[in-house]
Amino acid sequence: MSDEVDLKKTYDAIVVGSGAAGGMAAHVLTSHGMQVLMLEAGKKLNINKELKSMEWPYDHPRRGDMPPDSHPLSGSEYTIRQPPYAKGSPYKHVYSYVEDGNGSDYAKNIVVDEKDHPYTGTQYAWVRARCLGGKTNIWGRLALRLSDYDFKAASRDGYGEDWPISYADISPYYDKVDLYLGISGHKENLPQLPDSIFQRAVRLNPAEVKLRESLVKMGRVLTPYRAGVTTDGVKHNKYRVHCYGRGACDRRVGGCDIHAAFDSPTGLIYPALDTGNLTLRTNATVSEVTVDKDTGKASGVSFIDTDTGQAYTAKGRTVLLAASTLESARLMLLSKSSQYPNGIGNSSGHVGHNFCEHLMGPGVSGLDKELVGKPRTLDDGRPGSFYLPRFRNLTDRNPKFLRGYGFEGGSGTGMFPDNAFGTPGFGSAYKKTVRDYAGAFIGMGGFGEVLPRYENYVDLDPEVKDRWGVPVLRFQIKFGDNEKKMAADMADSAREMFEAAGIEVLNVSRDILTEGYSIHELGTARMGTDPKKSVVNQFQQSHDVKNLLVVDGSTHVSASCQNPTWTIMALCWRSCDHLADELKKGNV
Amino acid sequence: MPYQINRRDLIRIGAGAVLAAPAAFGADAPKFFTPAEFAMLDELTESIIPADDHSPGARAAKVAAYIDARLAEAFEAKDRDDWRNGLKLVDDLSGKMHDRPFMEASPEQRVAVLTRMAKNEMNAKTPEEVFFGELKHATAHAYYTSKIGIHQEMEYKGNVMLEEFVGYEVK
Repeated sequence: MSDEVDLKKTYDAIVVGSGAAGGMAAHVLTSHGMQVLMLEAGKKLNINKELKSMEWPYDHPRRGDMPPDSHPLSGSEYTIRQPPYAKGSPYKHVYSYVEDGNGSDYAKNIVVDEKDHPYTGTQYAWVRARCLGGKTNIWGRLALRLSDYDFKAASRDGYGEDWPISYADISPYYDKVDLYLGISGHKENLPQLPDSIFQRAVRLNPAEVKLRESLVKMGRVLTPYRAGVTTDGVKHNKYRVHCYGRGACDRRVGGCDIHAAFDSPTGLIYPALDTGNLTLRTNATVSEVTVDKDTGKASGVSFIDTDTGQAYTAKGRTVLLAASTLESARLMLLSKSSQYPNGIGNSSGHVGHNFCEHLMGPGVSGLDKELVGKPRTLDDGRPGSFYLPRFRNLTDRNPKFLRGYGFEGGSGTGMFPDNAFGTPGFGSAYKKTVRDYAGAFIGMGGFGEVLPRYENYVDLDPEVKDRWGVPVLRFQIKFGDNEKKMAADMADSAREMFEAAGIEVLNVSRDILTEGYSIHELGTARMGTDPKKSVVNQFQQSHDVKNLLVVDGSTHVSASCQNPTWTIMALCWRSCDHLADELKKGNV
Repeated sequence: MPYQINRRDLIRIGAGAVLAAPAAFGADAPKFFTPAEFAMLDELTESIIPADDHSPGARAAKVAAYIDARLAEAFEAKDRDDWRNGLKLVDDLSGKMHDRPFMEASPEQRVAVLTRMAKNEMNAKTPEEVFFGELKHATAHAYYTSKIGIHQEMEYKGNVMLEEFVGYEVK
């Protein structure tokens, strides 16, 4: 596994970033026989040593918490304080929120230290993972397809822009991703949430079956969690085995040490290295896309060794940005030259704008009384519990808000009885109540589509720099009226669905969590047909610079309410196929 | 629910720290509390989660030793002060109610002290009530993450390789 970059060589492609998009670019381009250089800003971790998926809480000195000099930001800190969040903190290390209080020690080397990676502007919970594989090492694994309700949303309701593709264009690539990586789920034949080519589905427990059956009467669906997890195995990949239902997925920040859950290193990068066509350089923070003064094309990238601070330049025939939605926009804005004074690929002025994501917060928790005191089922062996797809603004039109939302839910018995904190009292009665009720709870939280708006943007802070002297991002991102009205409906409908199913509602949460909390940041370099209003074309190629591609979530035109990872990978596969084709034809 | 979030935040900010090797945890001598304070904390945790005919309680699960070890290494000195002061509050309340410190009170009197402290559990206001919340959260967290809590009390069957997922197939 080479870590050495040949600085004299011109690679066929330089891929910046190693997460879902970077890994997919490496896989597809090396499969086409291209010589690829992948640059990752973080370390290559011995990930199994970090995750320790089977470690019992009592075998950890702090039962999963971080060391005393380290502090994981809590959800509420993002709303109480202002960025940069680590500024003035007495702690030696301050980390992005990673399900605070839930095994944060296992993620401390995976997520960034906010002290080294500040950002400014409006409140925003920005979770970044700088290491080989990025956030795919700890992602939530919900793997959903988008549909023409999303790609053609603007035509349906008049807001924003359509995507320059339709479901028919991307569907074959979703199939490829399904088959290459493995996905678990149950066919439902829903137009708004197309089925994948599923492996064995996770099962439901009694409370979930009850809710599913009740929802049928409302014309709604509860489906087993569509997990980007191989439940039957992927025989072509020697780095992964199928899921054994061990169940650490939800107990901690995620991650899977047998790699049944997709992660970019074992799913994509190691197989790409095995082709002999991939050169991997970690600890390489890319600071600029360089430009050929004669042709105006991208000529490669400048990068900084993360440990030594030494700067280098690597040469590439093409450059693919896959640094994550906001980091790729930052890189384009950083790449200023005489040809591109506003940043490379930014003649439209749209880089950093049209930001969108998912809002989180509203949801419901309840009790299935029939299960109280019954022998508990083991519900901790599943990569996820259930998903409740969008039902708003499909056939009807809601008078209050545009677009829709879905719910992710969970129920039953895990390792830790969460009701131990909420059950009042003490003594034998308290202990018995915790025991009798532990398996009887069910809850779900919404993920809603945040409309893309030009006014929601990031730019470069004129003063603040990160540890390597690179200007940081400044946020100007706020949820709007549509989001607030949608959130209210999420809470109301969640309650209504539980009540209809005969589940006793314990708590309805109505508050919207801080912008960024969903870790589904999207947009900032959207695709489109009009170079004045978009940054890349349907193949994620810069309108201005033909050999520059942006292959991550930056190119989403709208957020949909479905989780983005599977779409990011399908789009990237399609674009890389196209790029290889164009290179062969001499068009790039 | 806000109550839970507050409590979780409190304990997280409150119990941050470690200097010692893992093996040192659960050792007999308290690292922060005096022996008298430690005995009182041990009694309080056992009162919150006692042994019953189903499983052993907080004492057997060494809950007090875990709380003590985390506090000994806490990043903020205030956390240690709050806990030391919290134990004093319990003694003061016991003095007011029964004319004697908590550890010299009868079992019924101790229950009465805790009952008073737990009165407004979901909306704690007085320092005693706030300390009860913190004490209970720390006790529950330590107990249900202990060997006894996981295997004997909750009879948890997971964290093993399963041949089949549990539950019902969707039809």
